[in-house]
Amino acid sequence: MEPEQIKNIRLLLVDDEAQFRSTLAKRLQKRGVVALQAGSGEECLSILEDHPMDVVVLDVKMPGISGIDALSQITERHAETEVILLTGHAATQDGVEGIKSGAYDYLTKPVEFDHLLGKIIQAYEKILGEKQQKEAAEYRARTKQQMIATERLAALGTLAAGIAHEINNPLAIINESAGYLESLLQKQEYADMPRRAVFEKALKKIGGSVGRARNITHQLLGNVRKTKPILTDVDAFELVLETAQLIKKEAQEKEIVVDLQTAEALKPILTNPNQVRQVLINLISNAIHATPQQGRISVEVAPTAGGISIAVSDTGTGVPKEHLEKIFEPFFSTKAPGEGTGLGLFVTREIVEKLGGTVEVMSKIGQDTRFTVYIPDQGRAENMGNR
Amino acid sequence: MIKIPTNILLVDDEKDFVEILAMRLEEAGEKVTPAYDGQMCLDILDKKPIDVVILDIKMPGMDGINTLHKIKIMHPLVEVILLTGHGSTETAIEGMKLGAFDYLLKPADFDDLKAKLSGARKKKEEQDERIRKAEVRQLLRRGGNI
Ligand SMILES: Nc1ncnc2c1ncn2[C@@H]1O[C@H](COP(=O)(O)OP(=O)(O)OP(=O)(O)O)[C@@H](O)[C@H]1O
Ligand SMILES: [Mg+2]
Ligand SMILES: [Mg+2]
Repeated sequence: MEPEQIKNIRLLLVDDEAQFRSTLAKRLQKRGVVALQAGSGEECLSILEDHPMDVVVLDVKMPGISGIDALSQITERHAETEVILLTGHAATQDGVEGIKSGAYDYLTKPVEFDHLLGKIIQAYEKILGEKQQKEAAEYRARTKQQMIATERLAALGTLAAGIAHEINNPLAIINESAGYLESLLQKQEYADMPRRAVFEKALKKIGGSVGRARNITHQLLGNVRKTKPILTDVDAFELVLETAQLIKKEAQEKEIVVDLQTAEALKPILTNPNQVRQVLINLISNAIHATPQQGRISVEVAPTAGGISIAVSDTGTGVPKEHLEKIFEPFFSTKAPGEGTGLGLFVTREIVEKLGGTVEVMSKIGQDTRFTVYIPDQGRAENMGNR
Repeated sequence: MIKIPTNILLVDDEKDFVEILAMRLEEAGEKVTPAYDGQMCLDILDKKPIDVVILDIKMPGMDGINTLHKIKIMHPLVEVILLTGHGSTETAIEGMKLGAFDYLLKPADFDDLKAKLSGARKKKEEQDERIRKAEVRQLLRRGGNI
């Protein structure tokens, strides 16, 4: 093991003989290992409460609770800690019992220093190995979960688009019927119709709700591309400026300053401008919704290794931690019914992934929120696979 | 002022839709002829003077794009507004390349539809006018030869 790694070992020496402990600690320090010390089993356990340890070197024969009792408590409460027992001369039975109840190993006193150090290092290597395995297993579980989620969303997207299309036709009939009746009510012959105002009100509500339903179906369908998408050279900052124009009105109504920034040397990238524009509209309008009156939003464009990144930041409400994964799910919205369909980010992620890129979000409640999209340049050889 | 009605041919396989939109357009002072598929649309165009066709894209049999193709060959001066239940604007844009005047997504906003109708009609009138002038010029030229 590298000396650098040895330094990282968190070690606790437990022995009732102060002299033995301090000599051992000094020799360990010379080899780069800083050890904490405890004079009894009780002290050892109380230290472990607040200071997690990698390795505990534990004397078996101590006044108060014995090393064996301390060991069983350590294995119970601090499963990640490895214990090396120090048994008295001719007390191998203790050592064997210790291993049965979970000790890493035992050494008989008097111990040979290098032998002990070797054991400490071995115990630490075991911990590192287990940690790595655990991380790898977690990573596999996470990626698998993500894959399942992505597939499910893709299937859902196709299904939703099909449904949306089927709904548009009856929706159109409802829309024209309500509109027709509304136009009749405008006529002179209906001026004195009893309860005319009520009819008008009800028809307006039908019209308004059709509008809401249409927003949903059009969002869902807007994302479906049947034919080959267009790819052109896109100046991302130009696109940002253009998009900012499109939603200027919304920002102005809340007196929000939209700050647009770009890196100096920004090269055009080959991508689909319409789709990037839709992504920008979704992110910027979310930022406007989250930002209080007279707030500030910034959009920053920067070159990356394989393309560009666009970051949309605001200092609005923020996204609570427990919502961070959910916000990308279809129909998740914290906005009032009619104000948000909850499709904006779902569609955004689908589009960005189709373009071969990724979306990231970072948010601190009440401080700042930043959505960053990475969009690859599809003109570059290494990105061609994403087409 | 009396509004001169636009002669509209409304083509959609959804009969309920055709019926109610026709009523609404007539209420707004237009003249509407209904058709329920592409063939019926072409047959009517052969017989009746029409200014603008409102054409559904997704229809069984001859679809809207095919119908549009034939309209533009046989009646190039008739303007066509495409209507699509598909949010994907791409078929509609493909239609514009084939000579459609404009397109609308279903359910359409009525004011949008009216604006596009009057745009289409204006374009048709300008073209009719240009053709009339060209014919007059030709007549005059012929007259000069006598
Ligand atoms: N910049 C932001 N700051 C705080 N919360 C946000 C931000 N962007 C998104 N959210 C949260 O994520 C939710 C989902 O966003 P999404 O854009 O998908 O839907 P929406 O904005 O609610 O509706 P719409 O479909 O109209 O966009 C929002 O309702 C909001 O709670
Ligand atoms: Mg949104
Ligand atoms: Mg149809």
